[in-house]
Amino acid sequence: MEVTYTEMLKLNSEFKKNAKSESYNVAVLSNIIINQFCPFLEYELQRAEVNAVVSSGNYDNIAQDSEVCKDQALIIVFWELCNIIDGLQYKANVMTPNETQALLDKVTSEIDFVFQNLKNSRQIIINKFSTLIFNHHFLRSNNFDLICKQLNAYLEKNAPQNTVLIDIDKIIAKTSIQKSVDFRNFYSSKALYSTDFYRTYAKYIKPVVFSILGKAKKAVIFDCDNTLWAGILGEDGELGIQMSSTTKKGVYFEEIQYLAKQLAKKGIVVGLNSKNNDHDVDKVLSTHSDIRLSDKDIAIKKVNWNDKVSNLTQIASQLNIGIDSIVFVDDSDFEVNLVKEYLPNVTALQVPKQLYLYPELIRDHFDVFYNIKETEDDQKRIDTYKTQSLRDDFKAEFVSIEDYLISLKLEMRIYIDDLQLIDRMSQLTHKTNQFNLTTKRYTVTEVDGFVNSNDYITFAFDVKDRFGAFGIVGTSFIEIINDIAFIDTFLMSCRVLGRNIEFSFLNEILKHLKEIGIVSVKALYVETNKNAQVSHFYERAGFDIEGKEGQQATYSLSLNNFTENKITYIKIAK
Amino acid sequence: MKNQIKNVMSAVFEMNPGDILDSDTSSTIESWDSLNHMNLIVALEEEFNIRFEDEEIVELTSFVKIEELISSKI
Repeated sequence: MEVTYTEMLKLNSEFKKNAKSESYNVAVLSNIIINQFCPFLEYELQRAEVNAVVSSGNYDNIAQDSEVCKDQALIIVFWELCNIIDGLQYKANVMTPNETQALLDKVTSEIDFVFQNLKNSRQIIINKFSTLIFNHHFLRSNNFDLICKQLNAYLEKNAPQNTVLIDIDKIIAKTSIQKSVDFRNFYSSKALYSTDFYRTYAKYIKPVVFSILGKAKKAVIFDCDNTLWAGILGEDGELGIQMSSTTKKGVYFEEIQYLAKQLAKKGIVVGLNSKNNDHDVDKVLSTHSDIRLSDKDIAIKKVNWNDKVSNLTQIASQLNIGIDSIVFVDDSDFEVNLVKEYLPNVTALQVPKQLYLYPELIRDHFDVFYNIKETEDDQKRIDTYKTQSLRDDFKAEFVSIEDYLISLKLEMRIYIDDLQLIDRMSQLTHKTNQFNLTTKRYTVTEVDGFVNSNDYITFAFDVKDRFGAFGIVGTSFIEIINDIAFIDTFLMSCRVLGRNIEFSFLNEILKHLKEIGIVSVKALYVETNKNAQVSHFYERAGFDIEGKEGQQATYSLSLNNFTENKITYIKIAK
Repeated sequence: MKNQIKNVMSAVFEMNPGDILDSDTSSTIESWDSLNHMNLIVALEEEFNIRFEDEEIVELTSFVKIEELISSKI
């Protein structure tokens, strides 16, 4: 969301009037006119609540200004090659080697002088010298380029510890060469760069300031399905998910995993926040042939059936970092919007629908973690985080997400004994492993039998919310014997978990059964290593537990006492 | 358009839009120096989606001249 130049000036004014915190003083030194840059940097920093006051030095006086402003919090130096002598961009290419050397000597001693003055300053940013704006036309490099190379080598060799060197060519490239320069202003007043350039530059160097002020992000937390691999582990199984560069879908995710490893290597906390069975995910992490991200890269895991907001809050708490230092990555509209709503200070990134943009998105957010003092010790930090997170001895904080669920405008449609859904219902019995009470698999022929039989009623539902439609995502087969109903099958796709839809579905089924004269309902739960999350489903739905034997539990509910358990924010269409 | 121009000027010169008079020039507004003049040009060009020529920039030293020139360009 870009503001116009005028709007930006006004916003800066407003901010300054109301600013309560101490000012963060930035001095910009230059040998060209760069005054227009100042409000752009103020704006970028003010938006992050930094009371930045950015002022420019005197024209063409870097050396002298470096004496005067050395105590400022941050000093930025724009040292333009084209103006180290007037018109160097055209004079350089007819200079003799002696003249060139004399120039280099002059400039390097000025550089020495400036570094000497600024070596004890808190932080310096210097742009590397560049010829791109003038020389991009040429196939061959020339003397101007040679001077540039020598001076940059000198900068790199002699820059003091407190200096960050900026590759200004990247900023020019991001802005486009043509849009970076304003030749009209350059010839009339030696103001080389355009406002577009300044905009890009201010954004580019923000991480340096944020790191100094302790505002760098510290953790990136990933969802798993369709975020670290293609596919849904609970539905597609270990063999069905893809994350190798040799597959069409996996290629994006292999890169993502390597990028995550890269972050872990730099000491950034990498974690998981996924709705899955934890042992399923652990198995993938330790044994999948294509997994690249491993347990030693991952500092913390929240793989459970709880809401993702509570998980992130706990992650922050366990690692003892601010919730605002977390970046969260997920493919789901539901989860990303939930986190944006309840944890606005978390940077929530959604995996792009066009997957080829996904690695770019992550790279674009690498610098939010920028740490000015990147050291070897960062790997040790990961290890301390890991040991801390294993101490799970604190009370879980759960947040009510009902307001969010209401805002989703959920709508379900129930289908009873629908012939057209036979294939889909059969498919669901095969694919669904987690939210599945009895895990019975039925062929199309068998489901056809249920639909057409008077002894069975089949139910199915589809659901949509404000983000889109999910299609048929749940089914239930009820066997009727006299006036008693047996819930043979009750299952729901894990895509629609966390919205209480399962209770609505069950409620509609019970309503229907009561209407047709059923007096009592029996249900069964058969435990598998994948459906632990539904072990208490019938109890939570108000059924009485009748008995427990090994891995099975039986339940009953009398429909005489049954009252509707309507979830008001889910609309039912028939 | 008058108000739009005054709004831009007020942002660049850090004044209240209401304090900018039709009769104002670079001599009557204190913060209207050469550096702010450049900023004013940038802001006006963006606001009205126009481009001033070199010769025109030098001439835009009063509210009246600005209004005239922009009207002729739109």
